[in-house]
Amino acid sequence: MLARLLLVATFAVGTTTALAAGEPEFTLTLRDHRFTPSEVRVPANVKVKLVVDNQDPSPEEFDSHALNREKVIPGKSKATIFIGPLAPGRYSFMGEFNASTAHGIVVAE
Amino acid sequence: MRSENFARRFAAASAFALVASAPLAHADPDDYVHVPAVEYGEREIELRFGTASPTDDRRESAAALAFGYGITTWWATEIAAKWHRSDATGFDEIEWENRFQLTEPGQYFADFGLLVEIERPRDRAEGYELRIGPLIQKDFGPLQTNFNVLVERHYHASEPEQTELGYEWQLRYRYRPAFDFGAQGFGGVGAWNDWSPLREQQHIAGPAIFGKFNLGGRQVLKYDAAVLLRLTDAAPATTVRAQLEYEF
Repeated sequence: MLARLLLVATFAVGTTTALAAGEPEFTLTLRDHRFTPSEVRVPANVKVKLVVDNQDPSPEEFDSHALNREKVIPGKSKATIFIGPLAPGRYSFMGEFNASTAHGIVVAE
Repeated sequence: MRSENFARRFAAASAFALVASAPLAHADPDDYVHVPAVEYGEREIELRFGTASPTDDRRESAAALAFGYGITTWWATEIAAKWHRSDATGFDEIEWENRFQLTEPGQYFADFGLLVEIERPRDRAEGYELRIGPLIQKDFGPLQTNFNVLVERHYHASEPEQTELGYEWQLRYRYRPAFDFGAQGFGGVGAWNDWSPLREQQHIAGPAIFGKFNLGGRQVLKYDAAVLLRLTDAAPATTVRAQLEYEF
């Protein structure tokens, strides 16, 4: 019984990992504590993959109350953030560690 | 990435193994709803408090002071000292909480995590307490929903214990960063394989508020509070709980 449970658990997690593919992908670059582009236009009602490339040496936290995402991105590394499906509208985000300069908008249309 | 996926699978498999083999409990007044997402590198100091109106002539209150850290992108750990007050106030136990983020938020139809919590009561006769279970989150636009099923059991206790089945849930409407609102609920059904009659089960639920204030740089203050009313006769009439978290 226990062995079966273990197999099912491992299979379930492995299967969901394998199924992850196919979302439209958009890249944001973070340099000098600023996002480029600062406005990202994405399709509405579709799940979207944002790849954030932090080119600064210091970590940053991608933070968006509207998108319900908080993710720390170490310096000189990339992180993937899944958002949506979003209703048409504007969704703000920021870099929490440098909120005065690092901010942007996702526009779902 | 491959080793990260392996580690997540290992955590999930270990959890199932423990649930399958382990004997479980009911909510303390300071309990809170766990979420599956982990924030890498985040340090936090957390203060929790809860008080429940008397069920057998005694008001039960509990408080905890905790320190947490996001060790990896998928594992956050927290150590807490807990106090209880019933007929007397006193240090009650040390709690070691571990949350494992099993899926990337938003990647699948729901987000999954795992809670593994070990408590060491001051009263050594109570042995060790293990609480474990899946953490599930699903967002519907601005509405965040969480539902966690947790099993709990004492080990090495002087009296025989059973594995108990409990749950925690919340609805959170994301209104403003400083003020979200919704509802929370906690409860237990008794032994996982032999549920108690409904009148003996404890179920509480009620309105909740949440919020977050950026204090500059890495510093953030978060709060979360609820007033929980009894849904069954065995539960306290009113429970008030609150959590204040300082992240840095």
